[in-house]
Amino acid sequence: MEVLSFIENTGLIALLVAILPFFSFVFILSSNKRKGANFALSTSSLSFLLSLHLFLQIWNAEPEHFQLSWFQVAKVQFFAGVLLNNLSVLMMVLVSGISVLVHIYSREYMKNDPNLNRYWAYLSLFCFSMIGLVISDSLLLIYLFWELVGFSSYLLIGFWFNKNAASQAAKKAFIMNRIGDLGFLTGILIIYAQFQTLDLVSLFGDKGLLSSSSTENGLWISGSRHMPEIWLSIAGFSFFLGAMAKSAQFPLHTWLPDAMEGPTSISSLLHAATMVAAGVFLIARIYSVFDPLVLDIMVWIGAFTAFMATTIALTQNDIKRILAYSTISQLGFMVMALGIGAYSESIFHLITHAFFKCLLFLAAGSVIHQLHHYSIKNRHGFDYQDIRFMGGLRKRMPFAFLGMCIASAALVGLPLTSGFLSKDSILIRTFEWAASREGVFVILPWIMVLTSWLTAFYIFRLVFKVFFSESREIKLDKLANINDSPGSMTYVLIILSFFCTFIVFALNPVSFESSWLWKGFQLSVIKEIRFFHWLVPLIINLGSILLIMFAYRIYVLDKSSKLTVGSWIYQISNRGWFFNEIYDFMFIKSVEKLAKIFYQFDRVVIDGLVIAIATITQLLSSISHWFDRKVVDGLVNATGVFSGYIGRFFRTFHSGRLQHYLITMLLFVLSFFILSYLI
Amino acid sequence: MIPVAHFMFISASLFCIGLYAVLTRRNTIQILIGIEFMINAAVLNFVAFGKYDKISGGGQMFALFAIVLAAAGVAVALAIILNVYRYFKSIDPTKTDTLKN
Repeated sequence: MEVLSFIENTGLIALLVAILPFFSFVFILSSNKRKGANFALSTSSLSFLLSLHLFLQIWNAEPEHFQLSWFQVAKVQFFAGVLLNNLSVLMMVLVSGISVLVHIYSREYMKNDPNLNRYWAYLSLFCFSMIGLVISDSLLLIYLFWELVGFSSYLLIGFWFNKNAASQAAKKAFIMNRIGDLGFLTGILIIYAQFQTLDLVSLFGDKGLLSSSSTENGLWISGSRHMPEIWLSIAGFSFFLGAMAKSAQFPLHTWLPDAMEGPTSISSLLHAATMVAAGVFLIARIYSVFDPLVLDIMVWIGAFTAFMATTIALTQNDIKRILAYSTISQLGFMVMALGIGAYSESIFHLITHAFFKCLLFLAAGSVIHQLHHYSIKNRHGFDYQDIRFMGGLRKRMPFAFLGMCIASAALVGLPLTSGFLSKDSILIRTFEWAASREGVFVILPWIMVLTSWLTAFYIFRLVFKVFFSESREIKLDKLANINDSPGSMTYVLIILSFFCTFIVFALNPVSFESSWLWKGFQLSVIKEIRFFHWLVPLIINLGSILLIMFAYRIYVLDKSSKLTVGSWIYQISNRGWFFNEIYDFMFIKSVEKLAKIFYQFDRVVIDGLVIAIATITQLLSSISHWFDRKVVDGLVNATGVFSGYIGRFFRTFHSGRLQHYLITMLLFVLSFFILSYLI
Repeated sequence: MIPVAHFMFISASLFCIGLYAVLTRRNTIQILIGIEFMINAAVLNFVAFGKYDKISGGGQMFALFAIVLAAAGVAVALAIILNVYRYFKSIDPTKTDTLKN
């Protein structure tokens, strides 16, 4: 059949939303003027307004799907198009909205950077690829944008590429993500082999191929095709591997803390809306591909990641690293939530997390920005990202302080914040889910509760160290000239603070069920147990508040803790559970060893062979050289010399003297006579 | 009567003397003299063998012709020698070796 080629208004608008940032990318990169900021800001604002318009049209309405024929391989037609449903329009608004805020913030934050044009271009490319990712309707297109997201994050993490750490971090992020991409690709290939299509609607829709396929007798059957059941799990796990790399889940998480080498505004965008959200988004978009086995893997990896990252965040000293580990841990929450089937809760948390994590980063960026200026102005060579050197900024930077407090409260899940709604909803679901399971799953909710409590401790450790206690490095009188960051940066903080409150998401501050966002994705299949709905938030909040008070005692009132810097637990946490070292040992060292072995092999065997062949050739050629010189040349020379002798001999007869000729003649005549007598 | 063999001996020795002179002398005039010896040896043979042809006297006739021709040859040879001398300022045959070129 020919392509259903009617494109209504919404499809075009969605395309426009994605293409505007791309246009800005091309335009800024091709023009050398330093006008990139205004252009990028205007295109991203326009794209935000358009996506808001789309959001209002599509949200809770019929999903819309437009596609065109893209290309054809053999008899299989591939389509490219736009799929707009609740999930994608929500993500679209989130991505474009956060990116507008980051654009505004960056104008000030990156003001004096010499490569500003490049910054705006990359930022636009990043937005383009993320928006493209969320609206794509085919796995192939998603894969393309997925790669683009990875690539543009590589560009942005390594934006200050003359800094060695930054270029290393960019490479690390890229390579880690390649592992995930490999998984994603494997998944796509398996799905294609089974269903012969990559279209999201026909695969994962309500009556899609995936839900109509069944597993019987160890076979995964879809129509007339079938393959062993294990391939369904492998496909699910492959997709999850892709999501794991992008969303920094346990074995592939080490790139995210290193990615802090990029500009803070980029970290904020990357952590809130674009890069890391892509993994969770992918899981949510193709949710029906995951079978119970993969979902259980997801649960454990998510839970482990959340717990591990939280314990690491407890002892970090770099302000951005704390936030990075916090992101990893929150992503662990989301992935775990998806694993237990708490689909809407996970998306809900993705959205609220985007706002408060963005706020955390931008507030931290504001502090870094001001301290950086301060350190330049006063030639004070301290590390302006190290919280051990900060302190007492509460009065100097009230807006950053307030923003940070609100965002931290949301992160912890204190009442009246957005985090309270989303995070506690996940925890409640976890308890409900665990109640229906047996064995080791029973401890899962308690791990999450512990993680949640520890979250309260580490984030308020940061707040107290930065804003409360007296600075150890900077004398207070010198602090007099540190203020809140200039206008636009602070406005962004205020706007984001508003989005961290419950009012944006639900009118009732204690019930996530009343949230419009949660209602948008009612996919949860977990049996509700009312009893948990008030108990769990209570436990979490009581524990959190106790821990916050504990942190206050330690860091503000300066009571020493038992967790000294030297202890091994501290070391494990501070060094990030030694994952970098383990990977270094397991992969880099072993690869290096292997390389050395191959080097030796090369040198001894291959080179030896080559040298042996060369030597033999040389020997042969010297033999033939000798033969040429002595025998062939000898023959030729001998002929020449012989002719020369003959010539010289006959020349003696030709002396030119009359009498010689006569003698010769006489001799000939005589010899003729003698001969004739003799014969 | 003197037998023919004696004439033959005399003429052969004359010829050899002439030949020797032609081959060894360093003076062209002497070579010319050597040639004359050889011609005369031949003439002597003609005359000696004329004894067997007394009726027509062919031997004597030939001898006369030979003497005339030898005289003409000497005249020509002397003219050549004169020219050679003019050209080379020498009549030594070892020095007039431009023929080898």
